[in-house]
Amino acid sequence: MAGAASAVLAGVVLYVPVPATASRALESPERAAERAEREVPSLGLVWGKVRGWERVGDGWTVLWQPAHGMWLISAWVPDGAAPVAWRVDAASWLPGVRLPRRAAEALLGSGEVVAQARERLGRRDWLVGERRLLGALPAGGDLPSRHTSRRPLLEAVLAGLLLAGAVSRHLVPGVSGRGWRRAVGMTVLLLALTLPQLSALAPGSFEAGARPWVAELSFGTAAVLLLGALVFASQRFPAPGGTVPLGWLPVALAAGFLAGRIEPSGWLAGTAGLSLRLGVWACLAVLGGWLAAFAGDGFREMVRTAAWLRYVGLCALLAAGVLLGGPWLGVTLAVAAAAAVERGWGTWMGVAVVWGWIAGSVWTLARWEAAVRDSLAFLLLGCVLVAITYLVKARPDPASEAADRP
Amino acid sequence: MSRVGYLLGVVLALVAAAAAVALVRGRGVSGEAQAISIARTAFARVLYEPIGEPSATMEGEQGLAWALERAHPGPAGVALARKEGGAVRWRVIFPGGGQAEVTADGVVWSLRRPVPSSPGADLYPSLARSRIEAALELAVPDAAAWRLVRAQSWPEGRHIWQRGWFEGGAGALPSGWRQELQLEMVGSSVVSWQRSVLPLGTDLGVVTGRMAELRLLRRPAILGLGILMIGIFVAAAEAVAYRESTAILRGLAYGLTTALAGTLSSDTLVAAPILGVVLAVVIALMPGWTDLPPTRLRFGPAMGVALAALILGGRSFILGAGGWIPMTAPMPADTSATRLLAESWLPALVEEPLLRGALPALAAPVVGWWGAALLAAPVGALLHPLPSVPLLSSLALELVLQAGLAVVARSSGVGGAVLARGTYEALVRRASFPVGSEWDRMALVGVVLGTVLLLWPRRTE
Repeated sequence: MAGAASAVLAGVVLYVPVPATASRALESPERAAERAEREVPSLGLVWGKVRGWERVGDGWTVLWQPAHGMWLISAWVPDGAAPVAWRVDAASWLPGVRLPRRAAEALLGSGEVVAQARERLGRRDWLVGERRLLGALPAGGDLPSRHTSRRPLLEAVLAGLLLAGAVSRHLVPGVSGRGWRRAVGMTVLLLALTLPQLSALAPGSFEAGARPWVAELSFGTAAVLLLGALVFASQRFPAPGGTVPLGWLPVALAAGFLAGRIEPSGWLAGTAGLSLRLGVWACLAVLGGWLAAFAGDGFREMVRTAAWLRYVGLCALLAAGVLLGGPWLGVTLAVAAAAAVERGWGTWMGVAVVWGWIAGSVWTLARWEAAVRDSLAFLLLGCVLVAITYLVKARPDPASEAADRP
Repeated sequence: MSRVGYLLGVVLALVAAAAAVALVRGRGVSGEAQAISIARTAFARVLYEPIGEPSATMEGEQGLAWALERAHPGPAGVALARKEGGAVRWRVIFPGGGQAEVTADGVVWSLRRPVPSSPGADLYPSLARSRIEAALELAVPDAAAWRLVRAQSWPEGRHIWQRGWFEGGAGALPSGWRQELQLEMVGSSVVSWQRSVLPLGTDLGVVTGRMAELRLLRRPAILGLGILMIGIFVAAAEAVAYRESTAILRGLAYGLTTALAGTLSSDTLVAAPILGVVLAVVIALMPGWTDLPPTRLRFGPAMGVALAALILGGRSFILGAGGWIPMTAPMPADTSATRLLAESWLPALVEEPLLRGALPALAAPVVGWWGAALLAAPVGALLHPLPSVPLLSSLALELVLQAGLAVVARSSGVGGAVLARGTYEALVRRASFPVGSEWDRMALVGVVLGTVLLLWPRRTE
């Protein structure tokens, strides 16, 4: 039955069209940065290193900042041959030159009338339409901004389910799976090792006037706190152990891949620009799946008063994911999958769905050679792991099923 | 309690009280009465007699004040910010019209009088420049050091208005800084002037850059507190499910106090009720957290005084070692005495139960009490550091404070840590408020409480 379902899903996955709204990146952020460095005038400024990137519309927004942090240079590099848009953000006290209106008009040189003055402590800025002059420095215009992918209602529901999951695992503890504890610990450790690279995915951390090492330290500290909390949670609220849902894992993997194809998450395209992307994806899949199972446990406990309530709740959750979820579809599906099966299978199902969703999203959005190759490798790795699990026919190990709650 | 122990307590109370008075006495921003009389004199110079008793409020520009301290580290920078730097000022507003800004040490920074009904004969543009230059003597004592950069005339109403922009070089300010002044006349009467300071980019950049960096570093600390609140939520659910013993009334009272302090110490009221609810839950859960040391309130304030002396001494040490850190605490948005009380005690009421209560209680089963205290210290250290050079010196000083508070919490419990922190904050923040016994009393509330607790005779320990 599960095998048949997997085959059908695999067929559907192959033929499902990529939505027209999905912006497929044809080149890597690294290439985009190289192009911007070639095409944008240097402005007489030291650009510094590439600090981060973000997929925005049909292009990459790439960020540079020198080590002293006094300015930020960002460029939006479109996929096609359209010109690169750029912008300079300088610290409020730079560059220290207070140009009179006439000099500002002469410097802009377009015959436009300077519209608005902005007084600052150390300089005077001028705004002309969408263009700006920071003191005496032409600073480009506004760059395209990313459409928000926030789904406040669904995010609130998922956060509530996470809290409910924590409470339910604390108050109704099952037999804890030692393997999942170790897996979460190892995953967090591996992810912590990639932190120096991960700050590139949070370009909002960098600010003009703040040195980049401080921004990276802030990001790293936040990440360490978050990862530490996850390790702590894996000890205090361990995932329940149990048998492996061998038949359902391929279905979950395929369903996740399908969700990634239908509603890819733009943020995951950014992870394809990392050099350690395969490791990061694997860690995200394990942690995401573990968290999805967490929320699934909360859901299960909330609707366990009646069997019909569980079915209605699951349908409602899935419908919300499909209709309202957008890029959160994969996560919602993972929570629903974890809640739909028996408690000991939840984490397996969550990990499989998230694994497939990451592979599907990256496969759909990141279309340059290295990313396509690695997303395929990631998907195949998931299939191989499922196959190995199936062949070994993993049985519950009595040692790993010991009730060893802290 | 033994007689020797009681006597030691009395000695401790006296020493702490004396040290606290020494830390508070003579501190604060002076010049309120002087500012009013200087403003009256300045108005008289422009032939205007203001009517009524004026109100005076303290204002400041934080970045400018610290940039001046950066240029001249230590007391010299503080004095400069209160004089020619113009970073700390009294705004004097007369009820019958007219207002002036006078720096804490008596420099008229700006002045605006009502437009006179007979402002004198209109000046032709060819004459205006020399008249504006001559009028500068009304605004600054060293007019010869200033240079007219640009003059402008325009008709408005029935008169011609003149405006001149002057540059005054560095003057008493650090090398590389620049003073500017804008003066307005209507007809042939001066109606207003406004001084400003253009700082040297390096000095301002160091300060504003560090402030921006510390804002960035505060984000993970806020995240840490958010994670802690999730733990508190789960602990509350557990307490309800297992019907653990709780202190609901005490929690409610504490939550209300926190919400009140939050309301008084901030201009935005959104966070106060949320903080009140969270803290009410934390305090209500405390009876179930048996890993926490018992509370002994009476030693808290004395420890707070010691921490205040230590941290203020630490700042001098950083300055003496060649680094830089401001001597003054952040300027308050409002300088009422209630504000000093609320701003000082809010961090104590909020952060101590979370960092020295909830976090150790939740994490102690995994990492032990001291392990949890080590986790809490960096989170607390990132919340309120001052800008410094190098940046890590300020964070290190905050870590020392957090370690001190952890020691207080270990010996005197969460209640002792709250009293210590509140006392510390009040003593350290006192210097940013105006001089006056009203503010002194508010700053010494914790010390008075500690003295009473230490002197209160007890029969048993």
